[in-house]
Amino acid sequence: MKQAAVLPRAATEARGGVRRRSRASDWGARLSHAVLLTGGVLMVLPFVWMVLTSFKPATEIVTTTPRLLPQQPTLSNYAALPEAAPFVRFFFNSMLISGVSTLLVAFGAAAAGFVLAKYPFRFLTVCFVLILATILIPLETYIIPLYLMVNRLQWVNTYPGLIFPFVVMSSGIFFLRQNIMSIPNDLLDAARVDGASEWAIFRQVILPLSVAPLAAISIINWVYTWSMFIWPLIIASRTELFTMEIGLMYFQRQFSVDYGGIMAACVITVLPVLTVFIVFRTRIIEGVATTGIK
Amino acid sequence: MATLPRATRSAQSLRGDQFRFALVVFLPIMALFLVIRIIPIFQMLAASPTNLNLRRPVSRFVGLENFTRMWEDPTFLQALGRSLQFVAVALPAEIILGLLVAILMNRVLRFESFYQTLYFLPYILPMVPAAIVWKWIYSPGVYGLANLALGNVGLGPVGWLTNTQLALLVIIGVHVWKHLGFFVVVFVVGLKSIPADLREAAKLDGASEFQVVRSVDLPLLKPILLFGATMASIWAWSSFTEVYVMTQGSDISAGSDLKVLVSKIYEEGIEYGGVGYASAMSLVLLAISLGLVGILFALFRERT
Repeated sequence: MKQAAVLPRAATEARGGVRRRSRASDWGARLSHAVLLTGGVLMVLPFVWMVLTSFKPATEIVTTTPRLLPQQPTLSNYAALPEAAPFVRFFFNSMLISGVSTLLVAFGAAAAGFVLAKYPFRFLTVCFVLILATILIPLETYIIPLYLMVNRLQWVNTYPGLIFPFVVMSSGIFFLRQNIMSIPNDLLDAARVDGASEWAIFRQVILPLSVAPLAAISIINWVYTWSMFIWPLIIASRTELFTMEIGLMYFQRQFSVDYGGIMAACVITVLPVLTVFIVFRTRIIEGVATTGIK
Repeated sequence: MATLPRATRSAQSLRGDQFRFALVVFLPIMALFLVIRIIPIFQMLAASPTNLNLRRPVSRFVGLENFTRMWEDPTFLQALGRSLQFVAVALPAEIILGLLVAILMNRVLRFESFYQTLYFLPYILPMVPAAIVWKWIYSPGVYGLANLALGNVGLGPVGWLTNTQLALLVIIGVHVWKHLGFFVVVFVVGLKSIPADLREAAKLDGASEFQVVRSVDLPLLKPILLFGATMASIWAWSSFTEVYVMTQGSDISAGSDLKVLVSKIYEEGIEYGGVGYASAMSLVLLAISLGLVGILFALFRERT
């Protein structure tokens, strides 16, 4: 790619347009960097402000002359959190919900993706079309009947109720199916000739060859369930069942002027996702860009 | 010896094995999928012409009554209008800004992944903490950063979140900020798939940077622009979290004055238990989001 870009430039130089051309593109590149950097800093500034504020004492926060960096850094905002609200419990709830959901979603996507990609039954086409059709329909359009179901099952304010709509991921099944389609049938047939059962083929051929797409949808589902808001808002009304998001929202309402504490709680909510993002950055960006999964 | 009988195994017994695997493993997944995705959609459709209410044991068929009620309900119409404004502002803003950043990113040869990380971060991090920070930045007193900045250049404090119309714009701004990174990344992938030779050839023919973007990049990017516009309209149309967090629960914000369509469905269906009416509104939400996608597809097909 880079070479292709260099060659024609050499061609222009040969024509005698050397100086003007390179100076103009130098200037253009510098301007591009300036715009990108300014925009990028503005994009992350709210998070930077959040983190820095969480280490400031109250006197440095509620002031008409705020500074970016804390003058007397303190951990007191964090230390006060567990007493102000059961954030440890909220954190555990969020971890549990995201974890269980992601395990189920990953297994479901691999197994259903395998069957949809490789099995010859006619009814699978109908299933596939149904799955495809729901990808673009927002959860909000059928959230009321979902709530009624959970209500009838008496799962309001329970973990199963909180996880319920997130045990299967349509776009995840679709993504895995597309990937498993590219696994050669000969490979599966060879295993069958060796006497492997369908379950063994799934475990020993399909799963090892689907690690990358499975990782991508698992991470994305984990981030998605960690960040979700409207469903736990509806299902969890008892404090013990709050997720980080819901706990944070109520905490912010109740202690509306304790910005240090609120920002510390925000940081703790953001931190797990940030860690996952830093570790799997390339995989997440690629996965999101190619699937459009939210 | 052991492999011989398997090798000659009939196609029928393979079909049997596959059928059993599908029955034991695939069917439960599909059943769950039907229960949490397909059945609720039909229940929503079925409840929309009824007066079903959680606080009343019996319900009856009321025909189009819910829809005529909607038409006469000023708070619903207002919420509908606000959701449409959400799409009308967020969709072009996200596509244009996303394209702009992606084109610049595709031009610079260094620090690309660093820039990508910066722009992508707000998209991947959760909305609630982000909205809380923004709520503070735009808080109406003199301690909000936005008003502090205004004060420094000698302008009086503005009620960013107390003035309903202004608050809507501020919240749309937060929505755009939050989702921009997605479009940047998607468009960068699209631009990368366009061979650099095409651009260089156009430049050799004397095309300006702007002309290259217009006649090489944009036409080849069309399928990806359509995908981006589809996601942008669906997300803007069904937004709720940012509106709820930035307006509810404190007396220094727009409060219940500012509702989008999903807020209205949440209020009616969950807080008031009016399942029939809320389902009718959900149907409107679904119909218009499908309509928006249809319009986008038609627009993009026409300009071939």
